[in-house]
Amino acid sequence: MDKKTTMPINLTINGKPVSAPEGSTILEAARGAGIRIPTLCHHPDLTNVGACRLCVVTVEKARGLQTACTTPAAGGMVVNTESQEARETRRFVLEMLLSDHPNECMVCETNGDCELQDLAYEYEVPWPAAGATHHKYEVDTDPNPFVAIDRNKCIVCGRCVRACDEIQNREVWNFANRGFKTRLVAGADQPMLEARCESCGQCVAYCPVGALYDKMSVGVARANKVEKVRTVCSYCGVGCSFDLNVRDDRVVRVTSTAKAPVNGMALCVKGRYGYDYVHHTDRLTKPLVRRDLLSSSTSDERRSGRSSDLVEVDWDTALNLVARKLTDIKSSHGGDAIAFFASAKCTNEENYLFNKFTRQVLGTNNIDHCARL
Amino acid sequence: MKSSVNSPFNRRLKRAREQWRRKAQADLSIAVGMGTCGLAAGAEEALNAIQTELDKRHLTAAIGRVGCVGMCAYEPMIDLQAKGRPRFSYGQATAENVSDIFSAYLDGEQLQRAVLVGQVVPASMKSNGSCLSSLSFVDPASQENIAFHQKQRRIVLSNCGLIDPESIDDYLAVEGYQALVKALTGMTPESVIEEVTRSGLRGRGGGGFPAGLKWSLARKTQRWPKYVICNADEGDPGAFMDRSVLEGDPHSVVEGMTIAAYAIGASHGIIYCRAEYPLAIRRLEIALEQARELGLLGEDILGSGFSFDLSVKEGAGAFVCGEETALMASIQGERGQPWPRPPYPAVAGLWGQPSNVNNVKSYAYTPRVIRLGADWFKSLGTEGSPGTAVFALTGMVNRTGLVEVPMGITLGGIIYEVGGGIAGGRKFKAVQTGGPLGGCLPESYLDTPVDFDSLRAAGATMGSGGMIVADETTCMVEFAKYFMQFVCDESCGKCPPCRIGSTRMLEILERITSGKGEPSDVDRIRHLATGMQRGSLCALGQLAPSPILSALRHFEEEFWAHIKEGRCPAAGCRMLVRASCVSACPAGVDAPAYLALVAQGRYAEALAVHREANPFPMICGRVCPAFCERRCRRGQIDEPVSIRQVKRFMADRYYSEPWTPPKLARAKGIKVAIIGAGPCGLTAALRLAQRGYSVTVFERMPLPGGMMTYGIPAYRLPREPLFAEIDHIRRAGVEIRCEQELGTDFTIKSLKNDGYRAIILALGAHRSRKLGAQGEDKNGVYHGVQMLRDIALGRLPDLKGKIVVVVGGGDTAMDAARSSWRLGAEEVHLVYRRERHEMPANAEEIEAAMEEGVEFHFLVTPVVVLGHDRVSGVRLQRQQLGEFDASGRRRPVPIPGSEFDMPCDLLVPAIGQVTWIDDEAFSFNRKATFDVGKAFETQVEGVFAAGDSVLGPGTVVQSVAHGNQVALTVDAWLTTGQLGGVHYQPKRHDVAQLFNLDEYAGARRPKAGTISPEERRRRGDFAEAEQVLEERAAQEECKRCLRCDLEWLERIGEPLP
Repeated sequence: MDKKTTMPINLTINGKPVSAPEGSTILEAARGAGIRIPTLCHHPDLTNVGACRLCVVTVEKARGLQTACTTPAAGGMVVNTESQEARETRRFVLEMLLSDHPNECMVCETNGDCELQDLAYEYEVPWPAAGATHHKYEVDTDPNPFVAIDRNKCIVCGRCVRACDEIQNREVWNFANRGFKTRLVAGADQPMLEARCESCGQCVAYCPVGALYDKMSVGVARANKVEKVRTVCSYCGVGCSFDLNVRDDRVVRVTSTAKAPVNGMALCVKGRYGYDYVHHTDRLTKPLVRRDLLSSSTSDERRSGRSSDLVEVDWDTALNLVARKLTDIKSSHGGDAIAFFASAKCTNEENYLFNKFTRQVLGTNNIDHCARL
Repeated sequence: MKSSVNSPFNRRLKRAREQWRRKAQADLSIAVGMGTCGLAAGAEEALNAIQTELDKRHLTAAIGRVGCVGMCAYEPMIDLQAKGRPRFSYGQATAENVSDIFSAYLDGEQLQRAVLVGQVVPASMKSNGSCLSSLSFVDPASQENIAFHQKQRRIVLSNCGLIDPESIDDYLAVEGYQALVKALTGMTPESVIEEVTRSGLRGRGGGGFPAGLKWSLARKTQRWPKYVICNADEGDPGAFMDRSVLEGDPHSVVEGMTIAAYAIGASHGIIYCRAEYPLAIRRLEIALEQARELGLLGEDILGSGFSFDLSVKEGAGAFVCGEETALMASIQGERGQPWPRPPYPAVAGLWGQPSNVNNVKSYAYTPRVIRLGADWFKSLGTEGSPGTAVFALTGMVNRTGLVEVPMGITLGGIIYEVGGGIAGGRKFKAVQTGGPLGGCLPESYLDTPVDFDSLRAAGATMGSGGMIVADETTCMVEFAKYFMQFVCDESCGKCPPCRIGSTRMLEILERITSGKGEPSDVDRIRHLATGMQRGSLCALGQLAPSPILSALRHFEEEFWAHIKEGRCPAAGCRMLVRASCVSACPAGVDAPAYLALVAQGRYAEALAVHREANPFPMICGRVCPAFCERRCRRGQIDEPVSIRQVKRFMADRYYSEPWTPPKLARAKGIKVAIIGAGPCGLTAALRLAQRGYSVTVFERMPLPGGMMTYGIPAYRLPREPLFAEIDHIRRAGVEIRCEQELGTDFTIKSLKNDGYRAIILALGAHRSRKLGAQGEDKNGVYHGVQMLRDIALGRLPDLKGKIVVVVGGGDTAMDAARSSWRLGAEEVHLVYRRERHEMPANAEEIEAAMEEGVEFHFLVTPVVVLGHDRVSGVRLQRQQLGEFDASGRRRPVPIPGSEFDMPCDLLVPAIGQVTWIDDEAFSFNRKATFDVGKAFETQVEGVFAAGDSVLGPGTVVQSVAHGNQVALTVDAWLTTGQLGGVHYQPKRHDVAQLFNLDEYAGARRPKAGTISPEERRRRGDFAEAEQVLEERAAQEECKRCLRCDLEWLERIGEPLP
């Protein structure tokens, strides 16, 4: 639908006139106008549920506080996001959350990248005095090789539940029990993998705190210790982009980013967790050719049988050799003597070029692709 | 739309009415209450027994299986009606009692075990000709409504107990489905909404939202399909109004929903009923099937072109699913959690479609509103809340049950008139309405009208209809904790304020009720409450703090007693209350310990335990009203242990043996003066002397003892034990100087000059209140206090042949009346402005006075004292009980023109006493007693006040308690300079249990012998009326004690002695 044809809504937020497209929530209208409203359970990718109560704002003429994430913006509405009541309520909610949260930011994976921590800091919520009942769940009990869970840190915002339902459509997560005993469970309180989990890690990506975290990165990949390098995934042709989290020249974690044009926050198990090959010792980092194909190979080497060994060469040498050989074959046996096999790990553009090269340059239709199997 | 109803329906209607008439004229018709309550109490078995009984008697009968009439205490209930005879209803009609009931009803024999509840008068005709069937219960003799039903007006419950809920014919016969016919054939959807709007019907789920407005909003949304949903997820603890309607009259809900569906344009309806109500679900399913069969549900209903069907969805019993959005989420198969509004259900509800959610009762009212009209409905109840309110009345009232009353009746009206007042003669404390999301209201609110707006303004809510009554034995912290526990169990967990806040709140309440509360806890509760109210997503979290906040508002002192003193004043907290009797005793005397010692024959030790907390066992063994016995747990089984009698027995064993109180500290050389040698002054003197102070007691009368000597007649408290116990105090080193009057013989200043470092005013309350009647200064007006004082001084008034009228209902009035009788008065009358059960005097005293022939006149008050210069009579005015006053009693209101004269020679006012001192340095409060601080300090430094001069006229043991406390605070002030902060805590004695308690399960409380009234009168002296227990009887009586103290030791994890 063409957005320009809908009537904009004009409202006032914090004394400032704000215009927002029809159908916007107060939160969307505010954010569109550069006014920040804190949230925890809200994520632009997910349905709004109004659970965490942090986005409460005062709306004139409305009874009680309203959640900005669920209340539709309406013409003439007068909203105050920073009223004393709203700020006190947010502080109260944070105080409640901290009262059932382990005091272990020191050793938490998410330290420095935690929405709860940021808000507690912003609202100057003191660490609650000891004595209140805390949950004491066993940590990291799920055998999933990639995703670890610490329910003690869970704030029951339900973002993981909705991410799994709405983005990955796997419906692995939900809550069991009620009230203070509410507990995040996979399936019918099963191991994740038995509850249809395909280890995409969306739940981890959407978790605002350290309740769900990447197992492979434990102890090495805290936010302030890594450099993020945006890159395109090398696994398939979709073209997902993500951030390699690099520390001391090593990839220690992959994080998805809402800025990725193709995939947004979503990634598959390979893109998110299949990065260990990067630093594998078996990985080829330079072209290799067989010694006997190089003009410099000696007769001794040929006799000793070492002539078929692979030798490291520079790219020009290697490509020249391939070009020479292909030209030779085509001229002596014709193009159909050659067959080409393309890779799914290449991008669409690369595969397109590969196809052109095969058919137009080498003149053969002998081309196939691993993904056709 | 066709203008007439199709014929199969009409044929069926005719047949149903015919059947109903025949049933009413059967030789014998029987109705058995078969709601869940009746079935649980054995209605099924009773029904079998009825069959057997009929076979035995070779009778046949029309048997109706009906719903519940709301009288819980009487279940199971059966009604019998023989042709041409009135219909009688019997309670406790278990299988064993059935033949008994038959013999009573048919053969006129005496009922053995069952109870005759009343005569049932069914089906009254309205003046407009339409039948509003209902049951009313009248007393067979007087033909007046029985008390439980007097103030009730049954609309929505009218069919419950009358018709067979599984028979659509029964429902048709009592005008069922006539409203649907009227709506479908004669009204547009808009006019249906208009009628409901005009009736002012408000949603009965608790919110009170106008039903007509709700329907019109759902009608306005132009999207289909639309849904009507019935909220039958009744989950308040102790509330079962909806269940009773669903079980007793399911068709009324079906009819109401169908009318609502027609009004808003819905094609499908869902009744969301909790699975814990299997009988309700079964009866609903039957009703739906029957309605479909008759074409009252389904396609083209009654040929109107309107189609609608209903289904039942079972809920899993989550309280939060009573919240409409959570309810719809649950229907959709999701976790039962609320979602934020907007959008409202009328716009986007179930499956995102326009939906209308109402409570069971709201739908059940609908057919009545449509059939009888908005004006009829508005004629009931109040302007803002028309109609009736249905309550499940539970808790400490005499008659619990399901009641339907017109809106606007007062809380007191429901509790006292419908509920029959507080059980066990105890005092009302609070009533909780609105269940776990409501609030409690104390006695000063008993006048509050019961309607949506008044209750909300008072700080409670109507809720869906739970009403729980608490009496003086209920601890309000514990009460609040119970509801918070419920919220913790039922919070859905979606939002943090409710999920975590409720748990934090419960932790604090648990801490307080186990004596571990902290002074910051009260503020902490308020902080949590504000956060939950503002921050929670739905009404469950927003209203969950209400019970605690209302308890704090009305009973804050009780919270502080737990926190600061580790004491539960109502003796309700299991961790804090060692034994209820000890908590109930103002002086905290360790009754279980001395009872256990007496049981073992260790009388001297028992006496020592008593004297530690109260130095007057011989006196209290005779005159104490025994607060301990009122709270004795044995009393809940049969009768309380006779603690006072045992006390007297053990004290009298050492009648003539002088006791020298032990010294507890070395002499301090500090002088303390106590003014007044009553029980408070003497106790304070003793305690201070024991702590090493030099104490002098100044007494203005010739003899010490205060009211014990000059207020209590010798027939109750003989002089010998009285003075013996006062001598014990002297033996502790206390000097008592009699005939020394403050202001005449000495002053506060002179005492200070004489080196008294602290002065305790224990002046008592000796000044009699005036009647406020005309001419009360005449000769022959002889105040009760004065009469008793004269008798004690040996100046016996000559009353031979005279007519005496005593005014008042307290102990002084009883003493004056009984003394007059002993002095030979011809007639003794006692007039009191309220009713007998409201007299503050000890019940035993009232009984003894009646026994001795004192004539009581209730609900009268003197207005004029007649006679020239001498009293010749008194003009009395009759009173009726009006609204409730702040004490929770109903205020007497004069009946104009009801005056009558009573001749008399002597008028004895005894309506209360006040204290008095001729010194402007002290300030007094409204009750005309000293205005003192928490440490009993007065406005003058170093001067303290205690006893009756602070409490107002009280009992000996209350004064003793004050004496103990004031001595403690004076000691603290003299040694540390601090005022307050010390709390008197009597020592605990753990005594072993040496016999098998089970052997005393059947033992009965003994009766002490008394001298007969004739003998008392003949002797005319003031000899003691009551006799002491025999040794064996006393020992055996002690073994009836259930030893709550030992149970408590186990509870707190300490070893048993």
